[in-house]
Amino acid sequence: MRAKVGIFLRRHRRRALPLMAAMALAMPLVVGWHWAKLGWRDWHHNYPAVPNGYTQIVNRFGQPCSTAARAVYMYWRAADTGTTYSVRFHRKLGGYPTQMVSGKGGVSTNLDNDVYGHIQNNHLSQYVKHGIYGYACRYVRGGTSWSTHAFGIAVDLSSAEEYMGKTYSTTNYRFAQIFQNHGWKWGLSFNDPMHFQYATGY
Amino acid sequence: MKRTLAILLGLLGTVGISIGLLAAVGRTDPAPRDFGPPIGPRMTPDTGWGELLIVVVGGIYPTRAEAEAANDAMPFGDMSGYYVVPVAQFQGFDQGIGSPGDFALVCAFRTEQGALDFVALAQSFEYPATILPGRVRSLGGLYVGLGQEANPDGTGPLTHPVPESLP
Repeated sequence: MRAKVGIFLRRHRRRALPLMAAMALAMPLVVGWHWAKLGWRDWHHNYPAVPNGYTQIVNRFGQPCSTAARAVYMYWRAADTGTTYSVRFHRKLGGYPTQMVSGKGGVSTNLDNDVYGHIQNNHLSQYVKHGIYGYACRYVRGGTSWSTHAFGIAVDLSSAEEYMGKTYSTTNYRFAQIFQNHGWKWGLSFNDPMHFQYATGY
Repeated sequence: MKRTLAILLGLLGTVGISIGLLAAVGRTDPAPRDFGPPIGPRMTPDTGWGELLIVVVGGIYPTRAEAEAANDAMPFGDMSGYYVVPVAQFQGFDQGIGSPGDFALVCAFRTEQGALDFVALAQSFEYPATILPGRVRSLGGLYVGLGQEANPDGTGPLTHPVPESLP
């Protein structure tokens, strides 16, 4: 097959090169058109610095279970069951008005526009499965320390499939890199593949 | 010459064994951990002794062992979920559901909003969650997860009684 392609390119060098150049030029335009059609673009507007450890979390996001921790909401539909979840999160992680998001009192475009938009545009929403939530005023399991969910800086996706204690991922790995590219830490490193949090150091 | 060769071979062997060991350890999966490490100061368990609380029930079981097993089967990710408590821990509980001697999966709240939020969380996991129709009086005893609801004034967790929870 490779040989045939090579022969074809040698024979039609004059035609093939401009064709390849045109394709290279057209590809970004097609992607741009695709995004524009959906009315979305990646803003990266006003992201807070990722806190490291409890003290920085409190300094940057305030007390757990505060009004700010649950100020912004978005809807997220599970691809497998069709259930639509209302996900609440901190006002510093979204809610800023964009082409896709109506202003919800938030100050950045992180989660609801940029992360969610990338997942949609890369056609990865089909891998987000049921069991989706964000803010919850809860302690960590088996303890009395606050969970990152209580600060509104954590989301769990596909929680039934990507259950806690699982040392590998079967669906969230498809979009985990998008979260990581936007400052989120993936819980797979501590065997919690459903979990994404906007904090490190614990 | 032989001595130098022996030293070199020894060094090479040591390096080789070290690399082999590191590769073997690197391939091993991380040890499973039940929950994430604590991220800050621990809150003092608050039993709400004498207060009138709203209780969300996840199930009633005749023995503690059965209740614990059911609770283990209902994880809430890295977050705390239900607590196993004797039904007799609450005055008024047994009149509505269960009987003295039974054990229940519960989470108790001071505000209706806290209870509703927890029900929504449980439902997102597709776990049973029923709010008892009336407030019940806490007789103290085992910790039931109070404080895991937002303070109505928006300043943080609710760690003190509110007018509705006072008898």
